[in-house]
Amino acid sequence: MKTTIPILWMMSRPAPGNKAVVALPATAFALVTALLLIVLAGALSFFTHPAPADGFGTAGAYQNLALVALALLILPLLTLGGSAARLSARRRDERLSTLRLLGATPALVGFMAVVEATAVAVLGIAAGIVLYAAALPAVALIHFQGHALGLAGLWLDPLVVLATAAALIVLAAISAAVGMRQVALTPLGVRTRQKAPTVHWVRAALGAGAAVVLYLGMANITASGSIAAVVVILLAAFAGGLALLNLMGPYVLKWFAGRQVRRAATAVRLLAARTILESPKAAWRQVSGLAMTSFIAVVAGTGLAVLNGAGAGIGTAEANLYNDMRTGVMITVVASFLLVACSAGVNQAAAILDRRELYISLDRMGMPRTVMDAARKRAIMSPVRIVTVGSAVLSGVLLFPLTGLAMIFSPLSLLVIAGILAGGIGLIWLGLAASAPVLGRVLAGGSTAAD
Amino acid sequence: MTSVILGARSLSKRYGAGIALDNVDLDIQAGESVAVMGASGSGKTTLLHTLAGITIPDAGTVSYSGTDITALNETQRSKLRRESFGFVFQQGLLIPELTAIENVALALMLNGVLRRDAEAQSAGWLAHLGLSGMEGRRIGELSGGQAQRVAIARAQVTGARIVFADEPTGALDSHTSADVMTALLEATAGRGHTLVLVTHDSTVASRCSRTLYMHDGVLSPALPARPGAAPAGESAGGSNYLAGPR
Repeated sequence: MKTTIPILWMMSRPAPGNKAVVALPATAFALVTALLLIVLAGALSFFTHPAPADGFGTAGAYQNLALVALALLILPLLTLGGSAARLSARRRDERLSTLRLLGATPALVGFMAVVEATAVAVLGIAAGIVLYAAALPAVALIHFQGHALGLAGLWLDPLVVLATAAALIVLAAISAAVGMRQVALTPLGVRTRQKAPTVHWVRAALGAGAAVVLYLGMANITASGSIAAVVVILLAAFAGGLALLNLMGPYVLKWFAGRQVRRAATAVRLLAARTILESPKAAWRQVSGLAMTSFIAVVAGTGLAVLNGAGAGIGTAEANLYNDMRTGVMITVVASFLLVACSAGVNQAAAILDRRELYISLDRMGMPRTVMDAARKRAIMSPVRIVTVGSAVLSGVLLFPLTGLAMIFSPLSLLVIAGILAGGIGLIWLGLAASAPVLGRVLAGGSTAAD
Repeated sequence: MTSVILGARSLSKRYGAGIALDNVDLDIQAGESVAVMGASGSGKTTLLHTLAGITIPDAGTVSYSGTDITALNETQRSKLRRESFGFVFQQGLLIPELTAIENVALALMLNGVLRRDAEAQSAGWLAHLGLSGMEGRRIGELSGGQAQRVAIARAQVTGARIVFADEPTGALDSHTSADVMTALLEATAGRGHTLVLVTHDSTVASRCSRTLYMHDGVLSPALPARPGAAPAGESAGGSNYLAGPR
């Protein structure tokens, strides 16, 4: 420890031209912290400022829905946090391999990388707390329960803020440690460990069986036609659908990518499809949060559309609840897309830095930068489209009788959900575009690296 | 009857205070195999990159078949490299998620060749280089020598008239290195194409038709007598002009 701290201090000096690899994870952590605090504040406001008792249990409904929204956003938040920490931990491969060359043990070098990554996360988290405070006035304008949320209900207890920050720091450290386990720290360099993709068809078989059971079960429940049945359908579709998505997701991506590899006529399509096929599980992890969001958006959107259409003569409190549920679904979906967009951008930046030498060699061979950019964007956007459309269609099919009713009673609600999903896909595309300068810098650096 | 395919005039390049190229003149004939040797930091890779249009010199020109490539913009130089030059790097630097045949075919697909035709041509090259039956293997499933053969196939499948190789055998044992050099020479000079390679290995260099030496950015046809000595062939105050064999 006597020598570790001085070495850590020496190693923490920024390398010239390496600001992006520090700025990217720090920015991602700032965003994760700010969004998490905002979502937490919004969810807790329904507990600190509950709806007035109305005999229909509206206050309890708000609280439960707030917790569901929070739970839905936790996974993409943690995915983004983990990506940021991994990027941060792996940003200094040359320094780390030099330390190994000098005789430092893999454990010491790994520990130093984790400490560095955590320090970057702390910077980002601090910035995120400031960002949360700055964003609150705008968030306070969002209407729930017939009035604006207001600033008072959104200020979190400082202890909650500190606890959230501490949890994120722990997440950063764990993710960085996991990220470092995926690379081999050798004196000759830092290399990603090669792992053969293992996605078995049994996943698809189990998933298909579960889908049939779920569909048949729900078809029978719908026959009762009562409101209670609708609630049961929604809950069953939600829980079963999510399990189904996670079971089948990697296999579906593998199947699509395999098909695209066979059919690819251009370099871009071939490269993108092969990238997905290299690790369908990794591709799925990146978009799994989106699958859940798209699924819930259609389930909730359909439910709301049906209730809306059948809701003539309902009370003000119930009308408010339906409107607020719609607002909540939209906020959850948009926040989820925003997180996946950031996660895609950070992951892409990490992938470019990991494969620096390969990109430089392709550039030297004359591969146009537009081809490299298009291939890496397609490798993300293709799963995004498959997952978004696939999970939306899956939820639509599972809820078919209700989806049909929603189309008749409230087509506009479904159109709004479709529009949000399309907008979200655009947001992810922008997140990927934001990582393009990293490729530019890598290639520019490569053109001057010669003896 | 040979002709100059690649010519450099008064090339100079500095990186900060370091001189990478110092007034270098060079002519390379079509069908030649030229090895450039030199210590690390001598400027040999900068020379290779400048000849290939990867790096732009601070001064001087490089002409390929009569075209001044230093006057081309980045997009034009990329196109030239893609269509007319081939490259073999030390680690192969093949795309790990693609199979052997896809790595080779990619070079043709980037030039607009249909995938089916690209893979058919690539299969021919892989077979020619002794890799029949390995077309569907991913790069991680090939040995270092096999991966370098895939890189050679990729460099020549487009019909590139010049192949630039940067330490192509640097990561290989001596036996595999000899095999890869044989494959590289047969695929290039053996077909009337030109090979320009950078190496530390005198055994590898001796297989080429001409060996040049770089020292502190100065190019000479003979190994400098001692570190810091003026290279043979350099006239005081003048450029170091190295013509190809006549």
